[in-house]
Amino acid sequence: MAIIHDDLGRRRFLSQAVMAFGLLFGMGTLALRFAQFLVPSPKAKRYEAVLIGAESRVPLGEGVSMDLGGHKIVVLRTDEGVAAFSRRCTDLGCLVSWNRDRQQFLCPCHQGVFDKTGRNIAGPPPRPLDRFEVVKRGDQLYVNIQSG
Amino acid sequence: MESAATPAEHRAGQKSWIDYIQKDLPAHLDWWPYTLGAIPLTLFGLLVATGLMLTFYYVPSPEKAYESVEQITHEVYLGWFVRGLHKFSVDLMILFLLFHVIRVFVTRAYRPPGEWKWVSGSLVLFLAFAMGFTGYSLVYDNVSYWGMTVVTSMLGSLPVVGTPLLYLLRGGEEVSGGTLLRLYDLHTKLLPVLLAGLVIGHVLVVRLSGFAEVPGSRGFHPFYPEHALTMGAIAVGLLVLLVDLVMIFPPTLGPPANPQEVATDVSPPWYFSAPYMWITLLPGPVALWSLLAGAGIFAAYPFVDRVLSERGWPMALVNGVVGTAVVLAVAALMILDTRM
Repeated sequence: MAIIHDDLGRRRFLSQAVMAFGLLFGMGTLALRFAQFLVPSPKAKRYEAVLIGAESRVPLGEGVSMDLGGHKIVVLRTDEGVAAFSRRCTDLGCLVSWNRDRQQFLCPCHQGVFDKTGRNIAGPPPRPLDRFEVVKRGDQLYVNIQSG
Repeated sequence: MESAATPAEHRAGQKSWIDYIQKDLPAHLDWWPYTLGAIPLTLFGLLVATGLMLTFYYVPSPEKAYESVEQITHEVYLGWFVRGLHKFSVDLMILFLLFHVIRVFVTRAYRPPGEWKWVSGSLVLFLAFAMGFTGYSLVYDNVSYWGMTVVTSMLGSLPVVGTPLLYLLRGGEEVSGGTLLRLYDLHTKLLPVLLAGLVIGHVLVVRLSGFAEVPGSRGFHPFYPEHALTMGAIAVGLLVLLVDLVMIFPPTLGPPANPQEVATDVSPPWYFSAPYMWITLLPGPVALWSLLAGAGIFAAYPFVDRVLSERGWPMALVNGVVGTAVVLAVAALMILDTRM
């Protein structure tokens, strides 16, 4: 029959292990709180429709850049209608500009190219441009944006 | 491999700290490529001095930053000179750090007992790049504003750590005044302290672990006065060169930051132009991961070398080929950047 050595060694090991675990847990929590101090909490997001003016303000085939509550957008009117794109390039956050001659959005930083539907067609951008919803009330155009 | 006892160690059975400073150097260190580490060290001292002077005028707020740099460049007595010294010292420091790295790599001076010389040195190099990026953002002209946006976005695209890191650096979702303040704090407080600590650590490791044996190098020469004099002469020559460079190419300033319009040419400083071209040519995740993998292999290279040479690879040849290939690739990317 085996003899169980429930001796001081094992007891000491267990109690030290529990203490070490507790200490690490406490220190970890503290470190996490300090990290939270450095990372600011995101602001609550609201959505609102911003009036950008009459549809006639946007000429056909022309991209109009504007800043709506901190969102840099470009409103583009094509044969299919009016669309609002975020100007933020999906690659690394530079601003795209509408090139009328090429009928494309171009990003000057890493030569990203998007077509008129916002699709990424050349260069490093991984996904299409972000779009904002455009609402038409009467002749007036509104863009739904997040405001913080 | 045991490093041979130097004459100084034979003289004194007991070593005091002065013996470590006085420790004799192998004779091959007379040859100038083996003094390349002292040049960035000198320049680092100059950067700390001129950087401290610049902080007396620089204001890290989006409204005042550009204006204060302009004031330093055009109004403050010798402001252009201090700023020019700071700028050229960075350029030369990184240039000579790269030469130093190439020399160590080609001569495989990281072999035992020098692994930690290499590892600590590679951290110094990475931190020097981080200092370059943060410093360049502080100028707050349009190129530096968009450079700041691009680099923080790039770090933000890393998996898991990316988003918290982005918030940590930007102090919010967007590049703002908080971002400038954070980069300023990194550039003038956290990074210099880390860098100084690492540089001291690197020099200590070099002094304590000694030098790898070089075939044909016999005899020793004392650290003081011979080697110290060589380094002193280099430092004085460097200062003359720097003053000339600043006089010939006084620092300039681009148009102020414009969050509404991207600068037409967002090319970063020369030491970032190769990775900049790399991320332009390759799809985002591939480019970023390959850069990170490259940095990882670079930092752990002594251990890679050990594993490969145990399997019979001719590492002297491998290093020659790899070193040449990397230097040529970087040069090609830099030339491509100037043409686009």
